[in-house]
Amino acid sequence: MSSIDIAPEALPRRKGRKISARIWSEAFSSIEFRIGLAVFTVLVAAALLYPWLSEIDPTKMNIRAKLSPPVFMGEGWSWAHPLGTDQLGRDMLARSLVGLRYSLLIGIATTVLMLAVGAMIGLFSGYFGGRIDTVLMRLTDAQLSIPMIILAITILGVSRPTIPSIILVLGLAGWPVYARVMRSTVMSERKKEFVRGAMVLGANDWRIMFTLILPLVLPPIAFVAVLDIARMMIFESVLGFLGLGVQPPTPTFGNIIADGRKYLMNAWWIATMPGVFLVLTLTSINLMGAALERSRNKIYGGA
Amino acid sequence: MALDTATTREALLSVRDLTVAAEGGRVVLDRISFELKPRQILSVIGESGSGKTVLARALASWLSAPLHITGGEVLFEGRDLVSDPAHARSLAGREIAYVGGNPAGALDPTMTVGAQLVEKLRAVRPDIPAAQAREKAVRLLEAVKIPSAERRFHEYPFQYSGGMMQRAMIVDALISDPALLIADNITQPLDVTVAAQILKLMRELNENFSTAVLFICSSLPVACDAADEVMVLHAGRVVERQTPNALVVQPGHGYTRGLIEELPTLWEGGPEGRDTRQDREQAAIMSVRGVAKHYETRGKSGKALVQAVRNVEFDVFPGDNFGIVGESGCGKSSLMRLLTGLERPDAGSIFFENENVGEASPRRLRELRRRFQLVLQDPYGSLPPQSSIGSIVEEPLKIHRLGSRAKRRERARAALSEVGLADSLYDSLPTGLSAGQRQRLNVARAMVLEPRLLIMDETLSALDQTEQGKLLDLFERLQAQHGFTYIFISHDLTMVRRVCSRIAVMYLGETVEVAPNERLFFDPGHPYSRALLSAAPTLEERRYRPEDCLLEGEPPSPIDLPPGCAFAGRCPHAFDRCRRENPALRSRGGQALAACFLNDETPEEDRDE
Repeated sequence: MSSIDIAPEALPRRKGRKISARIWSEAFSSIEFRIGLAVFTVLVAAALLYPWLSEIDPTKMNIRAKLSPPVFMGEGWSWAHPLGTDQLGRDMLARSLVGLRYSLLIGIATTVLMLAVGAMIGLFSGYFGGRIDTVLMRLTDAQLSIPMIILAITILGVSRPTIPSIILVLGLAGWPVYARVMRSTVMSERKKEFVRGAMVLGANDWRIMFTLILPLVLPPIAFVAVLDIARMMIFESVLGFLGLGVQPPTPTFGNIIADGRKYLMNAWWIATMPGVFLVLTLTSINLMGAALERSRNKIYGGA
Repeated sequence: MALDTATTREALLSVRDLTVAAEGGRVVLDRISFELKPRQILSVIGESGSGKTVLARALASWLSAPLHITGGEVLFEGRDLVSDPAHARSLAGREIAYVGGNPAGALDPTMTVGAQLVEKLRAVRPDIPAAQAREKAVRLLEAVKIPSAERRFHEYPFQYSGGMMQRAMIVDALISDPALLIADNITQPLDVTVAAQILKLMRELNENFSTAVLFICSSLPVACDAADEVMVLHAGRVVERQTPNALVVQPGHGYTRGLIEELPTLWEGGPEGRDTRQDREQAAIMSVRGVAKHYETRGKSGKALVQAVRNVEFDVFPGDNFGIVGESGCGKSSLMRLLTGLERPDAGSIFFENENVGEASPRRLRELRRRFQLVLQDPYGSLPPQSSIGSIVEEPLKIHRLGSRAKRRERARAALSEVGLADSLYDSLPTGLSAGQRQRLNVARAMVLEPRLLIMDETLSALDQTEQGKLLDLFERLQAQHGFTYIFISHDLTMVRRVCSRIAVMYLGETVEVAPNERLFFDPGHPYSRALLSAAPTLEERRYRPEDCLLEGEPPSPIDLPPGCAFAGRCPHAFDRCRRENPALRSRGGQALAACFLNDETPEEDRDE
């Protein structure tokens, strides 16, 4: 054919290793991945360990030390509260880290749920087509027609806003997009020759769907889903802001920001600190995701 | 001849010591020098990887990284294009036109063919008014023999057949009146009868429009057919340049000699030998009876029935190499899907070892698939892109739950070594493999189950001649070792002639002839078989001349088939009865069957001319 092969003789050099292992080691050798991993590990470790080790109670009020700024940032700061305190004198560092804990839990669990539901529905819809496709896609349309926020307000307003219910509501509201993307990629993959080849080899539908097509189409969608972790964390903040998130006194990014809003003029750090943590977390996750995707492309691209 | 008049004039294109290298210093073209005179047709041939396409792109100023020109000059009408890229770009598409081998990919599916042609012309010649450009496009479409060009002008590429798209691409190249046309592998994706028409067309255009043509192809017979002179490229160097006749008779370079010797032949060696007569005492391994399949399509004018397979009948006996030949659109691929049980026939039955594949339950079908396997056509699309080579070969064993993990690994390794793939590739991806290696892998995957029947769907058509030969040897060896029966589905007559013992010829969904190898090639019983033979690219003296065997035109659409014999419209011997009734397959003696009324009327004569 009239394509130009540059280096057909360049076969993969490293032998005897599983391809997934090669992808991970390739990703790990990149500096971005290491930075991301380091930041992420430090944040998670801090979120899990700091409130416990420092024995600072994030809900303990200390009116005398209220609204003290972060270190070196104005008058009256102290080493006791490196990131300052809020209007009730609660330590911002401890509050932010506990908030990060909940935000991470909600963000990751929601995204996984969303991805799982969306990918399954899209996979079935795209693979089988026909009537199954029609039913599933109309279901998706119905879901898409209800705005997420209204759904969340309705459900969380009626039932008590606990963490599992928040995860469930956000997850169930977010899957249609994944189902759509998944469906279209599965539809194009399933027409390819190698799928037909697998059929002739005697593979049944389940085998083709889950061992052949899913591993092929899931990773690109999963990399998009990583961005959605951020969106879900922010969405949790929105719910918290509306008072439908995790209930006080448990701190989450949402209710910290909602509280800090009133003091934005004279105590900017209350609303800012959760944001800083949010940025750090998301950047580290994205760095890792991007490095992983690059190494995946590199290995599969054969370059 | 164009050559004689051209020698007196100076060269249109003169390439001196052109060197192209990839990043990292690998030389792809090494000091290429040649001259092309106005109105001359020069063929460039060479196997894949010899740098043909790179040469074409270098001349059309279309080299992309990591390739770049590192030395030499390309003089076009006396001006160097290498040192003056701006001038080269202004010539590209205007004076130097390029036609590629993938017309379906080159045409924009969202625009009518006419609009694209006009746009192309006005992009390089903005001064031409739209109406005039349109007129010119229609005139050229007529010149390349597109039927009812005026109407076709407004149609979209998908309404064109492959041959017509290639013609439209030629118009696209010629519309700006170029002095040089670079034709890169333009006949490769086409059927032989259509390719023969395109070649004829190229010659006519060359005479009428006085365009010089650089004709790049990988098949020696096609190159010799097409050109005044043939240049042989090997590993990035020009190894020789001669007129076709001289080249064939007295090849000057060892490489060319090898190429000519390797060339599979159709008729050489006479009718004897290549066949082992079928042993009719045995039960047929696969027997196909009156199979038909149609698909519904929805077009502008409502539903239409595409009769992809209409009436196919043949038997395959154990140890056979059964060939199914026919041009694209004749229903080969649909038939393959029926044979492998991917789809069920609308009528008729397919028996594999006395079990009806068309009616087997999905579960039973899966079990049957252990015993018959398919090797697909496309070496790139048929392998899962993200599985390691080892797991690809192990997959069928896993599917059928055969053996333990260690046992599967062992069998996969054994299969890999049998097809000649290095053991060290076991854990790597198929990405780095060449097309030939990929097809070996496909064969390994199919044979790891130790099937009785292997169906090869155009398995070799993507490979070059040398690689094809190696794989055919491999097939032979595997057959001797494992007692496989092969069904080769192919459009390549020379390949079929070389390996098959019995051959079915398909035309528009019907088997028109089923005959033993030498009977088909030396005494074909159907005019269509004769037409196919006449168009086959070969250097040998032809037994059948295209002029006698085939009328101008393309096969009718399988949507509205004419009554009677489907070939009647292109058959020079057609008479009234052919247009009323459709002939059925009938024995001609000696295990040969053909579906043609001529055999009834003139039983023995009028067959060989």
